[in-house]
Amino acid sequence: MTKDNGTISKQKFMEELRRYQKGSVTRRHFLGVTGLGMATAVLGTAIPGLRPRPAFAAGDIGDRVILATWPNYHDEMNFEAFTEATGAHVQVNVFGSNEEMLAKLQAGGSGWDVFVPTNYTITTYVGEDLIIPLDTSKLPNYDAGSFEQRFSDAGSVDGQLYAVPKNWGTTGFAVNTSKLDGAPTPTTWKEFWDLTMEGYSGRTMVHDYQLTTIGNALKYFGYSFNSVDEKELADAEKLLLDAKPHLFAISSDYQPPMRNGDAWMTMCWTGDGKQMNVDMPEIAYVLGTEGGELWSDYYAIPKGAPHMDAAYALIDFLLNPEVNAKEVLAHGYPSADARTNALLPKELLEDPILYPAADLLNALEFGAAATLTDPNRAELLARFKSA
Amino acid sequence: MTERGRKALLLAPAGIWLLVMLALPLLVVFVFSFGERGAAGGYVPAFTLEQYANLPARWTAFKNTLILAPLGTIAALVIAYPLAYFLAVRCSPKWRTSLLILVIVPFWTSILIRSYAWIFILGGRGLPALLESIGIDDIRLINTPFAVLVGIVYGYLPLMVFPIFVSLDKLDKRLLEASADLGSTPWRTFRQVTLPLSVPGIATGCMLVFILLMGEFLIPAILGGGKVFFVGNALVDLFLQSRNWAYGSAVAMTLVVVMLVTVSIYMKFISRLGGQREDVSLM
Amino acid sequence: MSVPMQTIAELRGVTKTFGNVVAAKDLNLSIGKGEFLSFLGPSGCGKTTALRMLAGFEKPTEGQVLLDGEVVNDLDAHHRPVNMVFQHYALFPHLSVFDNIAYGLRQQRPRVDKQKIATKVEQALETVRLGGFGPRRIWEMSGGQQQRVALARAIVNEPKLLLLDEPMAALDRKLRKEMQFELQNLQRQLGITFVLVTHDQEEALSMSDRICVMEGGSIVQVGSPRELYDMPRSRYVAGFVGTSNFFDATVTDSAADQITVRLASGQKVHGTPEIPIDAGQEVCVSIRPEQITLTRALPTAEIALPVTIQNRIFLGEHTEYLARNEALGDFHVLVPRQAELNEGTFNAGEQAFVSWGEGALLILEK
Ligand SMILES: Nc1ncnc2c1ncn2[C@@H]1O[C@H](COP(=O)(O)OP(=O)(O)O)[C@@H](O)[C@H]1O
Ligand SMILES: [Mg+2]
Repeated sequence: MTKDNGTISKQKFMEELRRYQKGSVTRRHFLGVTGLGMATAVLGTAIPGLRPRPAFAAGDIGDRVILATWPNYHDEMNFEAFTEATGAHVQVNVFGSNEEMLAKLQAGGSGWDVFVPTNYTITTYVGEDLIIPLDTSKLPNYDAGSFEQRFSDAGSVDGQLYAVPKNWGTTGFAVNTSKLDGAPTPTTWKEFWDLTMEGYSGRTMVHDYQLTTIGNALKYFGYSFNSVDEKELADAEKLLLDAKPHLFAISSDYQPPMRNGDAWMTMCWTGDGKQMNVDMPEIAYVLGTEGGELWSDYYAIPKGAPHMDAAYALIDFLLNPEVNAKEVLAHGYPSADARTNALLPKELLEDPILYPAADLLNALEFGAAATLTDPNRAELLARFKSA
Repeated sequence: MTERGRKALLLAPAGIWLLVMLALPLLVVFVFSFGERGAAGGYVPAFTLEQYANLPARWTAFKNTLILAPLGTIAALVIAYPLAYFLAVRCSPKWRTSLLILVIVPFWTSILIRSYAWIFILGGRGLPALLESIGIDDIRLINTPFAVLVGIVYGYLPLMVFPIFVSLDKLDKRLLEASADLGSTPWRTFRQVTLPLSVPGIATGCMLVFILLMGEFLIPAILGGGKVFFVGNALVDLFLQSRNWAYGSAVAMTLVVVMLVTVSIYMKFISRLGGQREDVSLM
Repeated sequence: MSVPMQTIAELRGVTKTFGNVVAAKDLNLSIGKGEFLSFLGPSGCGKTTALRMLAGFEKPTEGQVLLDGEVVNDLDAHHRPVNMVFQHYALFPHLSVFDNIAYGLRQQRPRVDKQKIATKVEQALETVRLGGFGPRRIWEMSGGQQQRVALARAIVNEPKLLLLDEPMAALDRKLRKEMQFELQNLQRQLGITFVLVTHDQEEALSMSDRICVMEGGSIVQVGSPRELYDMPRSRYVAGFVGTSNFFDATVTDSAADQITVRLASGQKVHGTPEIPIDAGQEVCVSIRPEQITLTRALPTAEIALPVTIQNRIFLGEHTEYLARNEALGDFHVLVPRQAELNEGTFNAGEQAFVSWGEGALLILEK
């Protein structure tokens, strides 16, 4: 990618997106099973000490910064540019779930400098004293006013800023319409579950993730995505257990089976939905009209980060609208930053998968902290899986 | 220094190592299993049997493990034995080394990557497509117990082949001649001499594979699509997803106990079967 | 042998090659019923190969192996009424002594009844003097006992031919002597034909009815121990069967019953060769050490050679001297105790004479 950041054509965008897909192993599941958060990709191409120091060091921030994030969620070129500018290497650890990140931080000694929590986890991190308040004077590129509020306010707890927005997205479902035998494309979670137990029996996948799998089962009954009500959860569990024999898999690694035709329908995140739809237009991305999940990821610094200066430097670098625009083009998830969006092509901003219609979007709910940490929901999913 | 003192000093590092690496974690798990889950997960000290009372909620995981681990062990044995026999007895020494290396090479790649290959083979575009072309329709292989079994056999084959190979390789070939000399047909020689003398290798291989299978979680996760759940998967979930360390510890302790019981029954059985002086060694 | 024997096994022009190694070359041999025959020769001369062809572990490349008059080239080992005692016994480590011995009986079809097996095994154990050892494990037995078990395991089947491949090589000297004795008794007692392979001439000489001497894959001479000792055909056989002094000589005169040869020292001696020899031929003469007389005074014998005593070794019954003649070289001389008492001991450096009686000197092919 060139340094000059002129407007990018739609064609160029698609090329970028394809590049991303080709190398795509957006496999939260993959990590989930290697498990234990041990899958660590080191992006630095050489051992830090052996690399030439940059001619213009922007203040000495050390030779490395360690980032815990999600798979395929960055543009590697940006990390190289960061190293060039500061002399610090970005070492990337990729994770499979928020629970896993939380477990790792709770266990202590993670060694991370920056991590990428999802909106509903931040209050838990604050409550557990695992995260530090951010000093905005060290983040000159952070402009609170330029972010759409619903995607940024989870970063503050009790008026104190702990995390700054990275990207946002939705959780819907992807369906291979060519297997519908001419029936109309489903539009609701009710249809999702009914189809699973009838025409698509043995062809549906649900996430290996309690938040979305239980949340979207609750939606069948019109309950809140975040419900922790005992009776409502009991209904959801019954639905899940009824559906289980009809599932192709319980896994968040849904792209490969969807693409090769083993699976016909799956719970799906924005980026994956977009990628599959581009390659196989018969795979539609649907947001259930009953609602579902809306989420937003943030950058934050864990307590005890070993390279504090480098942590601030990296976050600030990634908040730079020009850098951020490149990030969006590389991973395909929308940004809440108006300054960044101004640099993105119009076609992208009008894409119905990435930016759903307002009425669909308004029906969605953010996951709640209580939803993530609710022991009953966690145990429910585990029971469902081991049933 | 006395002889005893010197011995103690020599054994000290190993003893400390064993204590730290084996006994200590087990002790921690034991203590945790009587505790409670914290509000945001983790462990809160307590003394309650609640976690153990909850065990029935993982019955299916135990059942799956206790069915598929022995089944996988037997399947691996059935496939590994002829292979090891061929390598040790039939194969010309010229080829033996190369073939042995061929057996190990897949072991150098992560089980994860190898199992992913099976996703394709057992997936809709692999074997089922082939079967369809010869008229056998609608066979689903991936994400079934069968797929997990295939993955297990494939993944653990070298662990089974090697001990058996070693026991067959060191088998004195003159015993086979002696048997023939005494009027035994080749098949009876196999049953009466070769097989009994390879029992230590079989026992070691089975033990190795069985113990590792009891803790397996990767293969069921990848080839079972989350639908064939082992105790190992339950543990990964409990420690990494629901962060219920107390319950996870109780499940882990139970697994350890189940393992100890099955292994000791197995050892009894083997020692009765073998009746040999050489003890059934673990490696 | 004086009594004509019934042939039980036969090798007819048998050759065996492994790749380009000729392990056995044109072997022709009849083995008589009830005899004790030994294959004798140095390591690698093809003894084991010959034995394994009789057992059925190797197929001849050429020629025929016959058992009881029938060609058995294509009969597998497990169908031959022949049993073997292996060099390192090859006992089954996972079976008890009893089960090892019963092994052969249990392979028989139709099945032998259990009671009968027990009786036969006990009998075999008694025969090898291991009565009551049946329940023992193999590793609980000493080397000598294991050897007896191996023997019992073979004889219990009452084979037509019992093959023994260096069965005593792993035993210490004293035990070996004992076993040699027992083996010989056993053979007489059972009447089974024994074929023994050994590289130990003493063993072959002491036990066998006949010895088959092999060299480089070929049979060089077959005969009773006495025949081989007294009338070896070649220097190789004479050297292998007992020890001897060898000297080069040239034939000066050859008649039907007597030839004359000239030693390197110039003396002419007479003898009767086992094989026809022409005048002018280079030959070898051999004198056994015990047939040489050592005297201080010049003896009256046909030939007496002056020697200087080099060395003396006391062997109990005999004393062995090394005596050097200027022209011929070293003589080994074995002096019996009685002679020694008459003549007194010789010391190193002392001058003496060696001489021998008529017929002591053998003329052999070189
Ligand atoms: N299986 C075999 N393959 C190749 N060469 C062999 C084999 N068996 C024996 N020989 C060769 O044949 C020759 C005779 O061997 P063997 O009969 O064992 O001699 P001996 O028993 O007299 O020591 C040796 O040169 C040996 O190396
Ligand atoms: Mg030999």
